[in-house]
Amino acid sequence: MQILFRLFISFALIGIGAYGGGLVTIPLIQHEIVVSQNWMTFDEMTGLLAVAQMTPGPIAINAATFVGYRIGGGIVGAAIATFAVVLPAILILLLLAPFVDRVSKNRHVWKLRQGMQIGVLSLILFATWSYGSVAITDWLDLIIGAAAFAVLVASEGKLHPVFVILTCGLAGLIIF
Amino acid sequence: MGKLSCKYEQCQLDGAEVKPRYIDVFVTFFRVGLFTLGGGLVMATVLRHELVLKRRWIRDEDFMSELSIATLVPGAIAVNIAYLQGRRLRGKTGSAVAVFGTVLPSFCIILLIAWGAFPYFSHPKVAAFLRGCAIAVTGQLAFAAFVFGRKQLRSWRNVVVCAVGVLVVAVLKLHPIWAVIAAGGLGYGLCKNVKPLDSPDADKAES
Repeated sequence: MQILFRLFISFALIGIGAYGGGLVTIPLIQHEIVVSQNWMTFDEMTGLLAVAQMTPGPIAINAATFVGYRIGGGIVGAAIATFAVVLPAILILLLLAPFVDRVSKNRHVWKLRQGMQIGVLSLILFATWSYGSVAITDWLDLIIGAAAFAVLVASEGKLHPVFVILTCGLAGLIIF
Repeated sequence: MGKLSCKYEQCQLDGAEVKPRYIDVFVTFFRVGLFTLGGGLVMATVLRHELVLKRRWIRDEDFMSELSIATLVPGAIAVNIAYLQGRRLRGKTGSAVAVFGTVLPSFCIILLIAWGAFPYFSHPKVAAFLRGCAIAVTGQLAFAAFVFGRKQLRSWRNVVVCAVGVLVVAVLKLHPIWAVIAAGGLGYGLCKNVKPLDSPDADKAES
């Protein structure tokens, strides 16, 4: 079926872009699922992101299971999407596995890595902008967001993000 | 003890061949996959405890090499580690078992939630709640940017590399992987003095 094929492609693309942690995949997920394919609304995707961080498993994989289930019609869709999202990494590792020891100690790889880490930073910056520009619609939103940011900075990242998300959700429930 | 060797298909530890049963591999990764709440690096720490310290299936040195590769390639770190470790333990079948065990818990839990909770997502009260959540996620992203920016943007070279990354993904609107590739290549070219990372987990945004 066409939907399953499309699910496979979208999540394979997300799987390739899942470099440097789950947060980085947010713009990709947003682009593929909300904007390009119209499978979920932005709010629904946010719900997914919140749930994905409260449950075990990487964000991208949880997203695949979730969307695959809802869009692909049940477990089969979920399985195909989940398979698609892990496939790129598996294929690359299939090729690299025999050379693990050599590659991990290679000086050139180390040098590349440094730049790649900065690449991840650029992706996070982009994610903050692309996601934030939809999530924050007025000054009130900005103030709440700044407060959330301040709490995270003050706790030096020791507070699990889920607490902040739930608190802001409750605030949203009261305010909006 | 003699010289330890650890080729890909088997791991010889303490002179004895360590070849865990497939079911043991599955259960180990399933348990770690089920109880680890947090980013892939958290799981890496737990897995290291299980595989290297507790069960002694793998040498620390080999685990660290694999962790290094797991963070070098795209894809969820948890899955990458599972693949590599599984393969080292029981070959290609082992890798499949390990990945399957890692993914299965979250797969089942998410299915449950998708089936049970999703219909409520469009309720107006829930929408208001989600709007608040979206703001929090933005804050979370900003915080991640703050933490990594502070650590990495220490020289003009790094700033340039970062700017190029942003250019690739925001202006050229290419797939994010290109930003990482461009940044890697540019960083490689620009940065002359490179101190080897002491540990491969000195990087990475948290998920």
